Amino acid sequence: MNPHPSSCSNGRSIRTRFARRFLRALKKIGSKGSSSRPSPRDISWRCRRVKIAADASMASAVGPRRVWSRTMLNMLRSRSHACLHASRLGNSRRPGADRHAVGKRKRLVLKRKLPNRLGLNQVNQLRRLVPGGEAMDLDILLDETAHYIKCLATQVKVMRSIVDYCSA
Amino acid sequence: MDDDGNKRRMLNCSSSVNNTIAISEKVVTMAPSSGATFKSPQGGESLYDPGWDPNVSWSHSENFGCSSSKVSHDIFANSSYPILLEKPAVSSTSHLFHCRADPNVTEMLPKLPIFLSGNFSEMVESFGLTGCGQTSDVVCPRSFTLNKNGATEDSSLGAAQALGDFPVSKDRLVAVSPNGKRRAPDPPSFDPKKNAQGDSQENISGETSQQKDTCEKKQKIKQNSGAKQTGNEAKVNSRGGDAPKEDYIRVRARRGEATNSHSLAERVRREKISERMRLLQELVPGCNKITGKAVMLDEIINYVQSLQQQVEFLSMKLATVDLELNFNIDQIPLKDILHSQGGGTSINGFHPGTSSSHPYSQGFHLSNLLGISNITSQYHPMPQAMWDSDLHSPSPRN
Repeated sequence: MNPHPSSCSNGRSIRTRFARRFLRALKKIGSKGSSSRPSPRDISWRCRRVKIAADASMASAVGPRRVWSRTMLNMLRSRSHACLHASRLGNSRRPGADRHAVGKRKRLVLKRKLPNRLGLNQVNQLRRLVPGGEAMDLDILLDETAHYIKCLATQVKVMRSIVDYCSA
Repeated sequence: MDDDGNKRRMLNCSSSVNNTIAISEKVVTMAPSSGATFKSPQGGESLYDPGWDPNVSWSHSENFGCSSSKVSHDIFANSSYPILLEKPAVSSTSHLFHCRADPNVTEMLPKLPIFLSGNFSEMVESFGLTGCGQTSDVVCPRSFTLNKNGATEDSSLGAAQALGDFPVSKDRLVAVSPNGKRRAPDPPSFDPKKNAQGDSQENISGETSQQKDTCEKKQKIKQNSGAKQTGNEAKVNSRGGDAPKEDYIRVRARRGEATNSHSLAERVRREKISERMRLLQELVPGCNKITGKAVMLDEIINYVQSLQQQVEFLSMKLATVDLELNFNIDQIPLKDILHSQGGGTSINGFHPGTSSSHPYSQGFHLSNLLGISNITSQYHPMPQAMWDSDLHSPSPRN
């Protein structure tokens, strides 16, 4: 597993890789859309695509070395396959199924009111936040969380700078 | 006991020969107050003859000590005592003798260094100590009998005293010396003598004790480094255990801890977890003062959620903005993006006054400004329709 990339060069390389891939994905998305005034549906579709592109480019920039990136890539692939199959089969309810499962988890969270001695509630919350955190030990989870936070921060920085450049 | 003291001082004298040579040289170089020149170098050299009788030196040095102990009295009070107070260092002894540099003392000069090395502690002790007032009283009447060479009475510097008083003074000095040596670790009652005492102690008592101290220090350092090494080893091994380089983790049980394998493994695990928590504390802004797992985890969770939300808002913004500026995407230079630090630049056109250093409020402002009806404030549940394709479960929106 990758040791903590505390050096600046490591973060810079992740940033570079992410930026390149994200820009490439943005180009693709931009080229697909029409230049005329888009409908709200187009906007929402675009937002989704941009979000997926951001996460996918981040995960691929990190590589399969990290548990969370691996999980994210697998989820992306499975979703893309699922969406593909769903669109082929004409079944658009597939993504909704996941939503349903998510709702179940949400209800479970509300029910749990045990005394929080070791911070178990927070740990479980964290597991849900970090992709792939369900099946990790606590120390590995914390490790992954640290790397995940770093990557999210770089993602935010790069995206913000792109937005600034575009809007300026 | 007296013999032991004698032997100790002899050992000290012999061991600190170098010191004595240095001091004698210093004494030589100093101009005598009376203007007389010294013959000490010759005397000094003659001192270190192999046939030198330690007993003679011992008696002489003692006598000198006895004589010099009467600082409170006339001869020393004017000259040596203030000087000694002014410069409380080993070199002060040389100053002391400097004042006393009389030709009458030439005989005694060679012995002075020995006395210095051996009995400076007692001398210093006897100078201002109330406890040693008796020594001065005892010695006082004898100080003026030193004039073997028929010099003036000022040569109380202390040429040889009447040997008849020898045993008594010796007792006194012996009584003083253990005190003197015992006083070294305790804080001395008077500050000006402190350094002198300490220096003298170090020079005199010490080579054996110094060696002991260094040995102890070395041992301690070794122990500390050993303890550190075990701690480091545990850490290194635990890291090695993560990346499977070693098959097992080698940990040493610390003092006072159970040596059960389970407890050891738990300790290693706990240390790992606490170390990771510390790293996370550095990553998450504003968590330096937080102590405690639960609060820290709450902060971490909030921070992760806010970062995820920022990503979503920014992607939405990109989607809306890029609709109008499609052609720009090809021309976005990578350098611009990489060099512009996200923390410094706030989003132009939106709330220029917003400090982008606070991540939590950023998403809120973005949502307001984007004006998209679906987007609400941070803690309101987002409509699911927008985020069907979310990879992360929307359960963070509690």
